[in-house]
Amino acid sequence: MLDEPFRILIAALICWLNFMTVDLIFKLPHSGGVSGATAIAQEVEKGGGKLNGGYMMGNLVSSPDASAGTLLASCGVYCAGLPGGLFAALLVYIGNRICYDPGYAGTTGCISATFIVYGAVQSGWFAASDFIAGMVIAILTIQGLSSVHASRLIARLWKVRCRFIPEDKP
Amino acid sequence: MIAVYLCTAIAVYAAIRVIAERNTMRKLPFLNVVSFAVTGIIAFLLPHPITILAAAAYFVGSTLESNAIASTWAGGIRKP
Repeated sequence: MLDEPFRILIAALICWLNFMTVDLIFKLPHSGGVSGATAIAQEVEKGGGKLNGGYMMGNLVSSPDASAGTLLASCGVYCAGLPGGLFAALLVYIGNRICYDPGYAGTTGCISATFIVYGAVQSGWFAASDFIAGMVIAILTIQGLSSVHASRLIARLWKVRCRFIPEDKP
Repeated sequence: MIAVYLCTAIAVYAAIRVIAERNTMRKLPFLNVVSFAVTGIIAFLLPHPITILAAAAYFVGSTLESNAIASTWAGGIRKP
C-alpha cells in the first residue's frame, strides 16, 4: 500500500473521472434542471465563465448527481462494505426524486462508484476512506476554486462529448 | 487519519469562500463543497452502518435547501 497522501490523490483522480464521465453522458451541461440551476449558470456566465459549464455547476448544486453518488457510495463502502454502497444508491435515488430530478445520473454514478471503490478496497491498494477524501478534493476542483475556470473546463469537455455524439449538440 | 483533517480543512476553506463571495448565486457552489466535506466528516467520525442514512439525509437536505434558495432567488416556480 502506498502512503496515504498519494492514495488520496489517486482516489481523487478516479472519483473525478467517474463523476465527470457519468454527468457528461447524462447531459448535465446541456441545460438547467430547475430554474435555480439556470440562474446559477447565468451568474457564472456574467462573471466571465461559460454557460454550459455553469449549467452543470448549477445542476450539481440543485440535486444529488453523480458527484454526490460517488461520495455517498464511498461512505457506504466505508461504513458497511458492498451492501452499504448499494443502499447508498437507493438513498441517492430517493434524494433525486425529492429534488425534482429523474435520478438517472446520481443512481448510475453511485452504482459505478460502489463497484470501483469496492474493487479498489478488495485489491488492497486503497482504503475506502481515501475515496471519501478524494471525492471532496474532486468536488473542490470543480465548485470550490474558480467558477470561471471550472465552467470553461466543463464547456470544453462538453464540446468533446458532443463531437462523439453529434445529435446532442448544445 | 490525514483524510479527516483534509476534509475539515476543505470545509473551513469553502466556508470562508462562502462568506467572502458577494454574489448570492455564486455562493451556492461553495456551499455545495461544504456539504460534501461535512458529509465525509460525518462518515469518518461515526463508522456505523446507520451513518449512511444520516450522511445521505444531511446531504440531500442541504442540497434541497440550496435548490430552494437558488430557485427562490431566480423568481420561484415557472408556470408553464
